Formats: sequence, structure tokens, C-alpha cells
Amino acid sequence: MASIKLTNVKKIYGKDTVAVQDFNLDIADKEFIVFVGPSGCGKSTTLRMIAGLEDISDGTIEIDGVVVNDLQPRDRNIAMVFQNYALYPHLTVFENMAFSLRLKNVPNDIVYEKVTQAAEILGITEYLTRKPRALSGGQRQRVAIGRAMVRDSKVFLMDEPLSNLDAKLRNQMRAEIILLRQKIDTTFVYVTHDQTEAMTLGDRIVIMKDGFIQQVGTPTEVFDMPLNLFVAEFIGAPKMNTFKTNLIEQNGRYYVTPYGAKIEVTGAKADMLREKGIRSREVILGVRPEHITRADVSDPAAIPCKIKVNEMMGSELHLHVEEDNGDKLIVRIPTVSLDDHERRAMVYGSTIYVTFEGKVMHFFDPETELNLLV
Amino acid sequence: MKKQNDNKIKKTGLGAKASRRISNAIIYFILIVITIVWLFPFVGILLESFKTETNMQTPYLFPKEFGFDHYVKLFTKTDFLKWFGNTAIMGVATAVLQTVFILSMSYVLSRLRFKGRKGLMNMMLILGMFPGFLTMILIYKVFADAGLTEKMAPLGLIIVYCASSAMGYYVSKGFFDTIPKSLDEAARVDGATRFQVFYKVIMPLSKPIVIYTILMGFMAPWGDFILASYLIHENSQGMNVAVGMYEWLSRTNMNTHYTMFCAAGVIVAIPVVAVFLGLQKYYVEGVTGGAVKG
Amino acid sequence: MKRLSDLDYLKLNKWQAFWYKFALFICAIPSAIWKGIKKLGGFFKNCGVAVKDEFVDIGSTFKRGNWAVKLSFFIFGFGNLFYGQIMRGILFLLFEIVFIAYMVLPSGGVYWLIKGNWFKIGSTIGTVQPQKNVYDPITDQYITIWGDDSVKVMLYGLLTFIFIFAFIYTWRLQVKQCRICMDITAKGKKIRSGKEDMKSLLDDQFHKTLLALPLAGILAFTVLPIIYMVLIAFTSYDAAHDGYSNLFSWVGFEHFNELFNFGQGGLGLTFGEILSWTLMWAFFATFTNYFLGMFVAIMINKKGIKIKKFWRTVLVMTIAIPQFVSLLYVSKLFTTSGLIGRALEQIPFIHDWRLANNFVSLWDSPTVAKILLIVINIWIGIPYIMLMATGILMNIPQDLYESAKIDGASSVQQFTKITLPYMLFVTGPYLLTSFVGNLNNFNVIYLLSGGNPIKGTAGGASVGHTDLLITWLFKMTLGSTESKYYMASIIGILVFLVVAILSLIVYNVIPSTRNEEDYK
Repeated sequence: MASIKLTNVKKIYGKDTVAVQDFNLDIADKEFIVFVGPSGCGKSTTLRMIAGLEDISDGTIEIDGVVVNDLQPRDRNIAMVFQNYALYPHLTVFENMAFSLRLKNVPNDIVYEKVTQAAEILGITEYLTRKPRALSGGQRQRVAIGRAMVRDSKVFLMDEPLSNLDAKLRNQMRAEIILLRQKIDTTFVYVTHDQTEAMTLGDRIVIMKDGFIQQVGTPTEVFDMPLNLFVAEFIGAPKMNTFKTNLIEQNGRYYVTPYGAKIEVTGAKADMLREKGIRSREVILGVRPEHITRADVSDPAAIPCKIKVNEMMGSELHLHVEEDNGDKLIVRIPTVSLDDHERRAMVYGSTIYVTFEGKVMHFFDPETELNLLV
Repeated sequence: MKKQNDNKIKKTGLGAKASRRISNAIIYFILIVITIVWLFPFVGILLESFKTETNMQTPYLFPKEFGFDHYVKLFTKTDFLKWFGNTAIMGVATAVLQTVFILSMSYVLSRLRFKGRKGLMNMMLILGMFPGFLTMILIYKVFADAGLTEKMAPLGLIIVYCASSAMGYYVSKGFFDTIPKSLDEAARVDGATRFQVFYKVIMPLSKPIVIYTILMGFMAPWGDFILASYLIHENSQGMNVAVGMYEWLSRTNMNTHYTMFCAAGVIVAIPVVAVFLGLQKYYVEGVTGGAVKG
Repeated sequence: MKRLSDLDYLKLNKWQAFWYKFALFICAIPSAIWKGIKKLGGFFKNCGVAVKDEFVDIGSTFKRGNWAVKLSFFIFGFGNLFYGQIMRGILFLLFEIVFIAYMVLPSGGVYWLIKGNWFKIGSTIGTVQPQKNVYDPITDQYITIWGDDSVKVMLYGLLTFIFIFAFIYTWRLQVKQCRICMDITAKGKKIRSGKEDMKSLLDDQFHKTLLALPLAGILAFTVLPIIYMVLIAFTSYDAAHDGYSNLFSWVGFEHFNELFNFGQGGLGLTFGEILSWTLMWAFFATFTNYFLGMFVAIMINKKGIKIKKFWRTVLVMTIAIPQFVSLLYVSKLFTTSGLIGRALEQIPFIHDWRLANNFVSLWDSPTVAKILLIVINIWIGIPYIMLMATGILMNIPQDLYESAKIDGASSVQQFTKITLPYMLFVTGPYLLTSFVGNLNNFNVIYLLSGGNPIKGTAGGASVGHTDLLITWLFKMTLGSTESKYYMASIIGILVFLVVAILSLIVYNVIPSTRNEEDYK
């Protein structure tokens, strides 16, 4: 129930260690925003500045149009879920969730009503009289979320809430957060280093690196049209294959020549290249693993590769292959497309031929690493 | 969910920065007061030791004239040097022996499992509940027969300090408990005997607690009054500093020895404080690490 | 009492919850006592069973043992020798020879046991009184012919008892070993050689190697003297019956009556007064230090406070400087001619009050002396707590505070709702140790006030208003002409009981002593 506006926000530690640089962002009311990036990129720092746990070195943060730079965390009316849950070990689950209400001397029956309501939503009613240490990781995380829920606050901040859970629980909790969001319908700011979480949860994603925003956009935008090489490689798993190659313009048609193959750029990408009036040049070509397919030996677009690692994921096969001059590629092959004989042939050292379609390529400037098409 | 009426953002009290500045200022003020209170006696004793008067009826803190008379007298006219030497010898001997005893005991209780371990710990817990110096009724008698009192009291005291010192194993056991058990297991799998685990794996990791134990052992004889007074029995040759100097502040000696006491106090404090401050880091680690767990 | 369901319980408000818990607690007491009794019964039963098992085992060993095993029932180590454990065998045999020799020699074990008149209430310990003023025709002088020394007679008697126990234990041990050797050989396996025995002392028997010295020290210098001291409570050992110029005797519980006699001539009243001051002192000394020390630690560790190390070092000075120097000096500071005392004299109110009461210095007023002790103890005691609290504070996860801040807690609330409960939880056992330490805090009392101001004599020593049990005890044993060692011993036992009961209660009430993993 609040919008957040960050204007030129900076965070400088000590004299000149810059954690966050010129951060500008408008978060709309009831939006689910995800900050994502590798560790040390400043995403948590930004979140903590919104929470008021860190001083803001420069710039302003507004919540609902009020500048909150100099407000204590308790005056900002926010709720926050921490990575390590931050449950009070000496209090029961109930008292943990009731903590903020107790501080405000809310009457007992209201506390009871709110806490049990939240507990019901999260499915932790039977644990209310237990101490946190008697709970499993997933249950603790639910308590932490519940504690934030009972506050009815304007903004819901979450700092890597799922990163301490194992893979299976994480998937489950992720789904629950999506459901939760529909139930409590407020502004969410969510920090994670996991691009899957970012893609699945966020209305918009803010990708950060070294204190700078790299790109802000919807999951589709950042996936289909990454602004630069970093975003392209960060979003998507396994990560995008990138390699240096030449883009050749011939009579208004574009070709790339990776490893001696010649592949024509087609579809929207070709149109965009044309619109931008790009000539022949050296580029960094980006192709996502799922867009690489097997090819016939005879195909002029076929690239021969040696298999180094074969990861069987069940529904698909991740092949780490090496091209003749040592470049490594990752290829995703759906298992349904393979028969037993083929699958058995894909072992260490054997050669396969791959190619990719012309409409799925990304082009980056080797110098600036920016997307040529934007 | 119900909407609460205090959902608006509003400032309660001071802003974050201003309130922090004010609270910090208050804290600095308190800390400075504490510093003065804490150091006043030490500065006092130092200044008074330079006074040329012998009594304490001098209504001023700073000496009217600085003099080293008492320091000179200490070494020429009294047995202070003897006491100091006795105490220093006891300190070093206790530090070594006590460390061996305590570390053995705490290592065994922390790392090894054997029949009777719980019983041993319970026994020491119960023994520790008796007022320790009551054992001196018997020990004094036996030591008197063995000639370990009076003049030879320092030797007797070393035995008394060290013999049962293993009962104070709690702090170092707490420390050993924090070293992961998997290290022992890894070393055992690699073919080490328990003895090799002890001196090749655990000891090198236990520097803080070893130094802490040595420090405690060294300091004990400097402050001990009660046990020493039993064995020494007013024989000046066998005294430690505490027993020796205690007499100087009795009603009869006060007027002639007060400032001398200050001077002696300064000299006693110097080695102990030097050792302590030098090893303070380990002391803190010992207290914070071991004490809480134990 | 009806137990509420979890959800019903949560509906209670703070007071209701408190009373509910209180009621539960009260209701739980009978069952707890019953459980304790059952546990104790179980313990004795287990002991009985263990003893029975031993006897059964010994019997069966004798029955099914071969001739070597049977012979080792009488000749120590015979079985070991038979099965090739030469070293063990020789050691066992030596032990038997030494024991028998000690017991039967003219002034050996049996002699001392008889002399000690053990367990015969009313008899002297030792049988020969010294003869004083005996004319010695050779030197033509009156001399004293010394008789027995009760102290020694008792000590040798005690040692003999210990020796007998050791003998029985060793006998049992070597019989068992013989049986094990027999079983191992029957299975066709090899028996450990002496060399392997030695090697195992550095490996799976390493604890024996490490414990040998420390345990010997504890047995000789703590266990033995404490048993001895407890025995003294049942004798008439005092300055008049010092054992060598006048034998003392077994008196049983007679002197315990003296202590609990509240009438004329009894020590009951004095004991009660000293005990209550001791408890009060321990309480105040522990908790003032605890809270103030924690407070100081929090201040020093606050974010944004600079030169933390300096502040810590300043405080730690009181630990570094030997207490007898700092405490003796400080106690003189507060006398009327001391620096602080003199400054206080300038305040007319204090000056008049002192003169009106005829006090030479502040230490002469019982109340003021007690307050001064507690205050000065803060000066001495805070640094320990400060250091410890620093360690704990650093262990409290920072995000707890951040979470609390966001939940709206002020700094005071953060302290009361997070820091304090956390500290109390973690330091529960420490608080107990420190309380016990203060019960027995000899140095602070003796060096500061010496127990003064004096209120009278009791138990053969002068007693002051600020004396703790422990300083009173000390004065009783100082060797003056009125020392009552037996009374010191009785009080020592009572101190033990107080501490033991306190510990028992605390260990059963404080949760963190039960489960040390809670906060990890």
C-alpha cells in the first residue's frame, strides 16, 4: 500500500568503498520488485537502506512520498524477513510473531487473532507454543514470514529469505510466497542472488552488479532483451553461451561465422540489425543453451564439438562440449528427442555436431559489452 | 487483514542520526567518568609512593616533594626483595605445573570418553563446593612435619597451588569443546594415536587457552593471601608479597609504613600488569570463550 | 489441575499466563519430589545390583576358573604371571606384599587403627597422653614425655582405611583380569603383552596417562584433607585439645548442637546473622556486578563508540593488579585520614554523623561498611562480567536487533527484550558459579574490612558485622589460643550444604544448564 522512490541513492563505506552507486528506481504500489545480482553487488545494502538499517550516504528514499532518510526503522512502517530468519531464540513462535504488536501494547485478544490468522495461512498453528530451535528450516522461515505478516505494514522487505533452505524446500517456499503475495497484496522488495527466484517471483527485476543497476525490467524483458553481456549471462540457467565471432552483412542479410560455420540471422533480430544499420563487424555472440540443436554433419552451419561432461537432468541432458579451438559451450537437449542408441553415444570424448537458429541470437559489442540491438 | 490506523509514516521522536549522536555523547561521558573512577586508586598509589612522608595523614594527593626514599628503603631496610623473589619463583613454577595439570585434565574430559568420566566430573564438582582452604588444617600439620612451612613455605605453597589445580578445568574444557570433534576423527583415521592427536592437532590449535592458563597460574601467587598466611606463619624469610605487605597496613605499622606499602605495591604491580596487558588478548579469549560454556 | 490446550493457553494475557504457569509449577512440585525420590531409590537399587553382580561374578569366576585363576584369589597377580603378563603380575604381587607387610608391622596399619579408637564416641584419639613435668634423673630436669598426637593417629588411621579399600579394589581387579585372560585364551586369541600395555597408554588408555598426576594431586591434597576435615567435625579438636599436648576425642554430633543452640552460649544466633549477611552479600555482589558489567559492555560495544580497546584496558586494570594491593589501598582511602574519607569529611552531614556515632572512620559503621563493600566490589568485579558479556554480545546475531528495530523496538526495549533474556539464558550457569564464588569471596571482605566492625566473639574467634562464613572460618583456624577447629569444620560442612542445595535448585530450574546446545 505504498510506493517507494529511490533517487540518486548512494552508499559509501568508510572513505571510498562504494557499495551502491546512483540508484534510481520507482517502485509502484503493490508491485513485487526483485533485486538480483552476484554477492557484493549492493542489492542487500539497498534493501537495508530502505529498511533504515543502513545510513544513506547520498540521495533520497521516499516511501509514499515521504522522505525517510532520517527516520528510524521503526518509524518507516515496514516489515522485513531476514536471511537467517532472525527469530528470537528465547521466545515461543507465538511470541516471536506477536513481538511487534506487544511493543505497541496491542490488546491480547487482537494479538491472538492476528497471530493465529497468520499462522493459519502459513500452516504453523500447531507449532505456536514451541521455541524456534524445535523447528525445521522451512518452519522457521514461515515463522519469520508470519512475523512480518502480522504487522500489516506498507512495505514487505525480504532479504534472501530462501537461501538457507535446501533445493526442494526452496521450490516449495517459492510457490508459497507467490500465493502469499496474492493474499497480502502489498509492496514487496525481494533480494536474492538466485535468478530463478527473481524470474518466477518478480513483477520487475532489478539486476545489479558492483553497486550499479544493470537493467530494470519484467522477467520477459530481461530474458529476451538483456541490455548487456552481464545481464545476458546472469539470467537463464545454464548460462548463455557467448563467444567472439564476426557479424557479416551481405546485401542486407546478416550472417555470423562461429567456428567456421555460417549461420544466417533471421526473424526479428535481422530486422533490428537492419534498422540499426549495423555493418560487418566483430561481435560477441550470445546463444542460450536451449537454443542450440543437434545438426547433420553435412549441414554448412554445423559446428563439431567434443563432449566433455554429460549431465543427465532427467527431462533433459546438459552437455558441456568443447569446440576445436578450446571454446566451451553448454547444450541443452531434451531427452525425449533422443533414442537409447544416441544417448549411449554421448559419452566423454565423442563428437557431436551442433548448430543454432538465426532468430535466437544476441549481439554484444566486444568493447562496451552492450547489446547492439538496444 | 485488518487495517491499522497507525499505518501512516510519521516521525516519533528524533531522527536516526541525531538520536545516535546524543546517545553516543552520553556514553562517552559515562565512560570517561568510569575511567577516572577506575584509575584513581592506581594513580593515587603511584603518586603516594613518591611522597617522602611515611604516614597517610597527608591531606594532598600530589607529593610536596618527589622522593624515591621508600623505593630505596624497600630494598635496603626490609625483606621486600626476598618476598618479591619468593613470589616470582612461585609464580613461574605454578604457571608451568598448573598448566600441565589443568590442560591434561580438561583435555581428557573434553575429548576422550572412558568409563567413570561423568563420575569424575561429579566428584570434582562436589569437592569444589567445600571451602577450599579448610584442607589447610591437615596440610599445615603434615607440611610442618615435612619442613615445608615457614622458611620453606614457598615450596609448600607451590605444591598446594598445583596439586589440586586440575579441579579448575572448566574454562579450558569449555575451550576444547569448541574445537570440532571431526578434527580428532580425521587425525585418527589418518593413523594418529590419541597422544599424537593431542600434541599434533589439538595443542597447536589451543594457543589462547594455553596462554590463558599460564597467565592465571602466574598471577595466582601474587594475589594469594589466605593459603600463604597458613604456611608462612610470620616467618619473614618465607613470605610472599601479600602476607609480607599486609602487616605494613596493620594499626601499629600504618604510620611508619603506609607510603612504603604504596611503593611496594607499585613494584609488585609492574611485572603482573606488564604480563597481563601483554597477554590480555588471550585472557579475553579465555574468559569469553571458555567461561561461558563451562 | 486441568491443562489448557496450546491455543487456549495463548489466549491468556500476561497475568493470566503467569498465574497459569505458576499454578502448573506448584502442581508439579509433588511429582518432582516423587521423581527425585524415585531417582534416588533407583540409584541405590542400581548400586545394590552392581554390588550383587560383583559378588555373583566373583563366585562364578572361582567356580569355573582353572587352578591358576583360583590361586590368584590368594596370590595377587598369579593369573597374570601364568598367562604371560609378567609386568602386571609382578606389580600386583608387590602390592600384596607391601600391603600385608604394612598392616602387620609393629607400628603399621593395625597398630594405628587400634590406637585411633575409631567410631568409639567418648574415647580419645590416640591412647598415650603426654606426661608433663616428669623428673628426668639423667639430665636432672623436669621434662615432658610426649605421647600420641591425635592429629597423626587420625591421619594414619584414615590412610590405613584408604589402603584397605585400595587392597580390596586391587584384589577384585586382578581376579577379573585373570578371568578375562582365561576367556581370551580359551577363544584362542592372544593376550596383550606388557609392551602393548605400555603402548596403549599413549593411545586408547591415553586418559590414564594424562590423569595420573592430576588425580593423584587431587586425591592427596583435596579428597584426603576434606575427608579428614569432615571427620574433625565429630571430634573435640580445638586449641585446648590440640592433639599432642592434650589428646582430643570422638564426640559425635555434640558440637552440631552447639551451633544450632540459639540460647546463651550457643552459636546459633551468630551463625544465623553471619549466614544471612553472607547470602545478602552474595546476592548483591553478584547482581550489581552482573547488570552493571553488562551495561558497561553494551556501552563499549555500541556501534560508533571509538577506542573500544582503551576503555576495556582501563577496566581490566583491576584484574591485572593483585587484589591485596588494590583492595588494601582502597580500604585505606576510605578511612578518615585517607584521600576519599577526608573529602567526605568535608560534607558536614557526614562529619556530624560520624562524630555523633563515635566512629573513627566510615568502616566503623556496620551499615556503611556493608554498602562500601558492595560498592568497592563493583569496582573489582565489573571487568570480568564486561569481558564475558562482550563475548556473548558479539555472539548475538545482529539480525535479531535489526529485526527488532524494524518491529519498532526502542534501544531500551531492544535491551530488555533481546539482550537481557539472551544473556540470562546463556549465563545461567555462570551466575550460579559467581554467586557461589561470592559466598566464599574471602579476599574482598578480608582485605577491605577484615570483617570489622567487631561485634563479639564466637567459635573461638572475633566476629565482625561484615564477616562472611568463610572469613569467620578463617579466623577460627588461625591458631590463636581459642581456635575451635571442630567448629570451623562444621561450618565448612554447612557451607558445602548451602552451596550444594543452591546448585541443585538452580540446575533444575535454569533451562540452559540442562541443554547447552540451545543457543546454537
